[in-house]
Amino acid sequence: MTTSDEFAGLSKPLETSNSPALRFEVLARCSTTKARASKMHLPHYTAHTPMFMPVGTMGSIKGITTKQLEALDCHVILGNTYHLGSRPGPELLDSAGGLHKFMAWNRGLLTDSGGFQMVSLLKLANITEEGVEFENPHDGKKMMLTPEMSIGLQNSIGADIMMQLDDVVSSLTTGPRVEEAMWRSVRWLDRSIKAHKRPTEQNLFPIVQGGLDERLRTLSAKELVKRDSPGYAIGGLSGGEAKGSFWRMVTLSTDILPTNKPRYCMGVGYAEDLVVCSALGVDMYDCVFPTRTARFGNALVRTGSLALRQGRFKDDMDPIDKDCDCPTCKAYSRAYLHTTVTKDTTGCHLITIHNIAFQMRLMRDIRRAIVEDRFPLFIREFMQTRFGKTVPLWIVEALRSVNVDLTVADKSSSYTAVPIDGDSQKEPSY
Amino acid sequence: MSESIKVKTAPFDARFPNVNQTKRCWQNYFDYTKCVEAKGEDFAPCKQFLRAYTTLCPSEWVENWDNLKDNGTFPMAKDANLSLRQPLSMNTSVRAISRKMSLHFEFTATKAAMPNAASSSSSSSIASSAPRIGKILVSRETEDQQGPLAVSLQTPNFLKYTRHGLQPHLVREMAAELGSMPKATRIQLEDFLADDTPDFSRVGEQGMHGFVALDRSEMLVLDTLDPTVVSRSAKSSNSFMGIDSEGGTRRLTAENFARVTDQLKPDIVVPLADYVEEPLPSLTQGKRISKSISRSAKWLEEYLAKRQHQPAVFAPVMGSHSLELREISARKIEAMDGISGYAFNDISLALPFEHKLRLVQHSLSELSASKPRYMAGASAPDDAVRAILAGIDLVDSSYPYAVTEQGLASTYDFSACSSEDSSAAHLDLWQKSMFENFRPLVDGCQCFTCRNHTRSYIHHLLMTKEMLSTVLLQIHNMHYYQRFFEAIRASLARGTLAQDAKRFLEHYCCDPFDRPAAGAEVATASCTKNVFGELETLAIQECSPTTKIQRKRHVEPAV
Repeated sequence: MTTSDEFAGLSKPLETSNSPALRFEVLARCSTTKARASKMHLPHYTAHTPMFMPVGTMGSIKGITTKQLEALDCHVILGNTYHLGSRPGPELLDSAGGLHKFMAWNRGLLTDSGGFQMVSLLKLANITEEGVEFENPHDGKKMMLTPEMSIGLQNSIGADIMMQLDDVVSSLTTGPRVEEAMWRSVRWLDRSIKAHKRPTEQNLFPIVQGGLDERLRTLSAKELVKRDSPGYAIGGLSGGEAKGSFWRMVTLSTDILPTNKPRYCMGVGYAEDLVVCSALGVDMYDCVFPTRTARFGNALVRTGSLALRQGRFKDDMDPIDKDCDCPTCKAYSRAYLHTTVTKDTTGCHLITIHNIAFQMRLMRDIRRAIVEDRFPLFIREFMQTRFGKTVPLWIVEALRSVNVDLTVADKSSSYTAVPIDGDSQKEPSY
Repeated sequence: MSESIKVKTAPFDARFPNVNQTKRCWQNYFDYTKCVEAKGEDFAPCKQFLRAYTTLCPSEWVENWDNLKDNGTFPMAKDANLSLRQPLSMNTSVRAISRKMSLHFEFTATKAAMPNAASSSSSSSIASSAPRIGKILVSRETEDQQGPLAVSLQTPNFLKYTRHGLQPHLVREMAAELGSMPKATRIQLEDFLADDTPDFSRVGEQGMHGFVALDRSEMLVLDTLDPTVVSRSAKSSNSFMGIDSEGGTRRLTAENFARVTDQLKPDIVVPLADYVEEPLPSLTQGKRISKSISRSAKWLEEYLAKRQHQPAVFAPVMGSHSLELREISARKIEAMDGISGYAFNDISLALPFEHKLRLVQHSLSELSASKPRYMAGASAPDDAVRAILAGIDLVDSSYPYAVTEQGLASTYDFSACSSEDSSAAHLDLWQKSMFENFRPLVDGCQCFTCRNHTRSYIHHLLMTKEMLSTVLLQIHNMHYYQRFFEAIRASLARGTLAQDAKRFLEHYCCDPFDRPAAGAEVATASCTKNVFGELETLAIQECSPTTKIQRKRHVEPAV
């Protein structure tokens, strides 16, 4: 269950970029789509991309030890600056020697800027040129989060990759507010770069903004590219916008961002989104979905997910997935998991382990398909398993934009799909 | 004695959260009696118990108990003095091989180390209640070509407590980090009855071992009820044992139980029994206890007759608080063929542990000494060591689970002796002082948690309700529990258990005879707290981070 040999024989990078704390090597490119497979050398670990990063908000991934995470082949995990900044706080993280030491994790770490939580968790956030003003939920006092403070917190946490504070607007917002936020985010990036105290140990990623407006996205991406950052994030998406707009913004961004640097699409984690976005040239993803849904007893499989609480699994002696080699699938039946999910912490741990393993295996399969230059076939097989005959329209359109037309058979596969209008999908409920 | 007492409503007591305050009435009456015994009637703190029971108890109950006290029949030892003697090395090695069973138990008994209770009047043989060092061997017939598999367990020892077949908080990879644990797991059937009446035809040839992914070298003990649950509502009838489950009340008949064990293929079973849910000794009708004995004996016979798969049987020894009825139950069991050991599960009485133990010892005097004995509710270190001194071979690891659930890390040490050794049995990871403490839970501890993590990190995990907190604490607490039993076995082998136990109990400030109940701060001047009382707290507090009922997990001690 590891990635150790997957780039064997690909010693010569097609493209590279070098920053003080990040070296990116594109080792294989799909000859049809924009997908690529790369190595990302970070201060703590060399990650293989495209990759999925599980979210450990508070400095732990729900009930899973770092030793287990290594065995599950996680390369980089996420911490949330807003949460870690209030508990345990930057002073403690400084005296602990950073989050890596504090949580005993020796691989890659990425932290967000804290801005997203300000807006999503706190209703009374007020955004000014200086920063995000909000009411501290603990004592009710007004507080201000500035780009400098966000970077200061993230320097204390010490993650391999930090995110700039951006002016987040809902992806459903339209009008002048979107443009204002986009330009402000660029100004905040410059302040963040100036405030960053550890550029040889930590990477600062800017975030492409601009809502669902092609002109603004283009302007934003071009502005950011001028700053020659070690990598770039695509933000302001996955907020309930139409999937048809989502993929267009992603592909527009990857078209502008440099090909020799990593691209990170924030908040994406559904299996079909990972496959599509990888075809559009994205390298990194994060999402709370796989670990959160595990706590409700939902196990991820290539056809969707299994709600193991349901009585129909009472006598089902098959593992969650016969092809999965995670510790849960090797030892336990759906019937056993049915007796314990949502009742004992171990039931929750077992599904969390499987769901992380599921994401990691999907990403390994994507990387292998790219390395072996059969990614279009992989996409067809994946979509056939996932959706059968009818595939959501946005997926068909997104893939057609990178030369994979699911509606006609090709020489590798006889599969053809019928597009259906399903672009308002929120939570998979199959 | 109550003329100077001003009667007012008794304040809330976290030990008794229910509307029904019957147990609380009894507990306070008992505590008062004990307190007066130790400190005299004039000792002011005793009055709090008096005030409480005066408000809580119906006056005729109090009269009844006062009469019992006057007659000397109140269930409490009067002349309890600690005279733990060095066990004489009798070394009566007995090899007991039950004919039909595949369980072998060999042990070395030492001379009685605990004084017999004054109330246990019948002659008890020396061997019946002496600490023993032994080994349980189970030879299991297997379907594969590897032939019969022998699994063994040194005693005294603990059976690993489980929830839904797994140790609390620990999936297999993490349980493997525990290292040298006893290879014996205790699973309660009640965890698997949520969906329907007991039927495990689905589990297939590998039985429960396969279903919960237990290593085949693990000795599997199947019991009916969770030993950490003290209060139950399901009622039994002549034909079935009522068991509460997440899906409602289940009716378990002897025939059901035989089918279940045929399907689950445990190595050892504790068959169904009609446990008496009755907190008040003097209120329990002898009739009810008699009925529980005859039902249990009938079910045991039916089970033995109906079953195909033949695990070793630990017979539930019944009789509640009645010495006479305990003798009857023991004799009924002795008259049966095919019994390999004994289980003392009938301990839901709200009695101090020392008293429960005397009841168990009374039964032991009527039972064969050559068979292993398991006792539920004897998991806390102070209780376990007393139980072992009284001749119990097996307890279960529900104690470390209770420690974990309260955010504590064990620090007790069986060989602690000097005054320099800490007399704290645990470290409270909720304390603010843990915030910036980058030491391991215990310096030099070799467990996975102490090798990799700090107090500060675990404190943070508790504060943020992260499930990893209980995972890491459970590993440490199990490590400590295992160490404790290793030390007890070593002490037994040296022949010094009685002195070592006395020193251990005194070091941790337990009244060597009677542990004060949680909250009863006044029981003795030098013993101000119940150092090993985590199970009592667990019984009234659901506190795992994933539990849907959000109760406050911890109250900062007032400084």
